[in-house]
Amino acid sequence: MTAKLNIVLSAALVACALMVVNGQYRARHLFSDLEIIQQQARQLDIDWAQLQLDQSTLGKHARIEQIAHTDLNMVALTPARTQYLTESAK
Amino acid sequence: MKRGGNGASGARMAAPRVAASKGVAFSTSPVLAVRLPTWRSRVVLFALFAAFAALAGRALWLQAMSTGFLQQQGKSRYERVLELPATRGKIMDRNGQVLASSLPVKAVWAIPDDVLAEPPAKLRALATLLDMPEADLRKKLDSDRTFVYLKRQVEMDVIDQIDKLDIDGLDTRKEYKRFYPQGEVMTHLVGFTSVEDVGQESMELAQQKTLVGATGSRRVIKDRLGRIVEDVGLSKEPHDGRDLTLSVDSKLQYIAFTSIKDAVQKFNAKAGAAVVLDVHTGEVLALANWPTYNPNDRSKLTGEQLRNRVITDTFEPGSTLKPFTVALALDTRRVTPNTLFDTTTSGRFVVGDRTIRDTHPHGMIDVTTIIQKSSNIGMSKMALAMPPQEMWEMFTKSGFGQAPRFGFPGAVAGRVRPHKAWRPVEQANMAFGQGISVSLLQLARSYMIFARDGDIIPLSFQKVTEKPLGQQVISAKTAAEMRVMLETVVNPGGTASLAQVAGYRVGGKTGTAQKFVNGRYSQTKYIGNFVGIAPMSNPRFIIAVMVDEPSGALHTGGSVAAPTFAALAANALRAANVPPDSTVTEIITPEHPLEE
Repeated sequence: MTAKLNIVLSAALVACALMVVNGQYRARHLFSDLEIIQQQARQLDIDWAQLQLDQSTLGKHARIEQIAHTDLNMVALTPARTQYLTESAK
Repeated sequence: MKRGGNGASGARMAAPRVAASKGVAFSTSPVLAVRLPTWRSRVVLFALFAAFAALAGRALWLQAMSTGFLQQQGKSRYERVLELPATRGKIMDRNGQVLASSLPVKAVWAIPDDVLAEPPAKLRALATLLDMPEADLRKKLDSDRTFVYLKRQVEMDVIDQIDKLDIDGLDTRKEYKRFYPQGEVMTHLVGFTSVEDVGQESMELAQQKTLVGATGSRRVIKDRLGRIVEDVGLSKEPHDGRDLTLSVDSKLQYIAFTSIKDAVQKFNAKAGAAVVLDVHTGEVLALANWPTYNPNDRSKLTGEQLRNRVITDTFEPGSTLKPFTVALALDTRRVTPNTLFDTTTSGRFVVGDRTIRDTHPHGMIDVTTIIQKSSNIGMSKMALAMPPQEMWEMFTKSGFGQAPRFGFPGAVAGRVRPHKAWRPVEQANMAFGQGISVSLLQLARSYMIFARDGDIIPLSFQKVTEKPLGQQVISAKTAAEMRVMLETVVNPGGTASLAQVAGYRVGGKTGTAQKFVNGRYSQTKYIGNFVGIAPMSNPRFIIAVMVDEPSGALHTGGSVAAPTFAALAANALRAANVPPDSTVTEIITPEHPLEE
């Protein structure tokens, strides 16, 4: 009776041990995946900062004005050439 | 050694040799009966015991005494502590446009001996990539140290190319570089950081504590391939620096910057500065200086370029201070806008040992005209009728001589001498802005009392979300009367006819100060300034302009600062979509504008 019980318990122990090993293995895999994804998130943050910076650099008023003047031949508007529309006027 | 064995073999061999002469058995010969001393076995026993005891002691030592150290050593073989970097906060303008942002870059360092052992062609390529002459590179490598920075803050795409060269003894370290997309236009407001990412100037310095992040760290287990497989123990989260939203509007800033730059070049001046304030919130919408510098390339930086003339420089403003004495006289009901003053036809007025002059004799004029024509004599007479203490209180309440409270590095308080020490001539001088020093920002802020209904609010360099509480200085009625007077200044008969703006009613006051050089007022060095309010029907901006040492034919506030104001205000009002409040679309300026 005791011998049989011992065999069953030993088998259970081995099974548990293997499951722990397997669980640990899978946990480490998932963790490493998480790590990669977090790394990607950080990289995207950096890219976002870079794009904001590019937007600010390319949208510089000095650059816009220069292009408007030289490439597009635009001139600044003056009140003399402006028709103002007000909501109350019909 | 084995006595029993000897005895047995002796007995077997004894049998054939029994006929020994004396009949004594060979095996039992007492000579041969070897008797080992008992101490020998004890020594062996003791040695064995001692060996075991040593083992036990060693085990005890390892397990109990030095266990911490050993576990540490073990961990260090498979655990790694990673530093988690924190990014410095971004600085943005009021509309969310990025003014300063940090990006990861790398510092290139070298072990000189290893690098010098590489073929010269590789070193030449490295020098080209690092954008430095090869001689300089070799000079840096000619060092006894084992760690030499070759170049810091190298951008990532360059690093990739350097990696391809595959040079021994060359390594990189991660760091951050601050980029300023708006460059020279915004730099006097934003400032810059050092290579160590520490704020050095302006808002970068003032807000260092909130902008800087806290680096974190975590302990992990890495596998054979260098992948992180497990976190060990508690990790310290990194905290990125907080983003900072400034009050500045980059569009208005650009307008202010180009206006002041044009003015300095046009009037051949030494320097210039302009500031735009929001009347309702006290926000600084633009702050421009010329000369300036590019914060992204600070290799040739001079003190002249760094100086923030709006905030850290004081000057004697001249006539721009006249409205304060007038406001005081109006507020205390000593005069009305129509009270007449005799400014004498000769254009001279003697106070104590000094003669006060007007550029043109004005005769009998009322208070409004004193402001419009900027009469020094009229001002002196008005000021001398008032106690010095009241004037001092007026100046102090308007913020002159008071330490600024907006947290900007290097901001100055200016100087207003205590009223008890005033002599009459000094009191008269102060009424028209001499013997008192202010910063351009203080001057701009003080005009709040006219632009608002007599109260003054604190300034802010950061975006304001709730309306600030004002402190009443003059009554709303006086403020309204002052606005009418200030508007007459820009009329064709005033000193600032060049400050007119098409489509909008504006008002303001000119000032021309002689610079104080070697203890006396210079006759050749002037500061022309103008503080204006726009639009007059519903004030939105206060714009102050200062042109330092204009060296052309023109030098007065009305001729150098007023037109600069006009250009700035016209563009600013349009850019801010302020509806026009005047039908005048063509500006008529007199051929010979009145000078102060």
